[in-house]
Amino acid sequence: MADTTLEPLVRLGHPVPDFELAVYDPVKDDFGQFVLAQQKANKRWTILFFYPADFTFV
Amino acid sequence: MGCDVVTVSTDTQFVHLAWKKSEKELAAVKYPMAADPTGKVSRMFGVYDEAAGLALRGTFVISPDGVLLNSEVNFYNMGRNIDELMRKFKANVYMGKKPNEVCPSKWKDEGDKTLVNPGAKMVGKVHEALNG
Repeated sequence: MADTTLEPLVRLGHPVPDFELAVYDPVKDDFGQFVLAQQKANKRWTILFFYPADFTFV
Repeated sequence: MGCDVVTVSTDTQFVHLAWKKSEKELAAVKYPMAADPTGKVSRMFGVYDEAAGLALRGTFVISPDGVLLNSEVNFYNMGRNIDELMRKFKANVYMGKKPNEVCPSKWKDEGDKTLVNPGAKMVGKVHEALNG
């Protein structure tokens, strides 16, 4: 079974700590950065969609 | 109000690029594909499987203020229902505009029945409030 040993830092109804992730952007066909602080500055909703791995059968 | 979908796995952005270009099922994909090879952000959201180094199927809705409003985590072998995700997202947007209303389980879209100002008078009378 999965072993998620750490408690999540996020809580429903609470602010998500700022984070950044490197991205591949298919529209620009280029690499870039997802920045949560930028989403807040631009007043945008975010849906984060985690999945196990590329090249599998999502 | 705009919404951005970002997918996240522990693969690098280079693998995302290679997968996107080789897999025809992904031809229509327009969302950014984020790389979390250290698992830092996956751990933050409690979806990191330490034994496998992979992220479980977690879905999280974050408001424009940066507040986490919805979370759903499925194990590896369970797919997600996109209609239900969109229902919850629409409800979050709606309740953001109407903070004195709550969306019941059958709520699907604007115009559907909500509960307004739930409080002492509604206790034990939810059936009447929903069907009245």
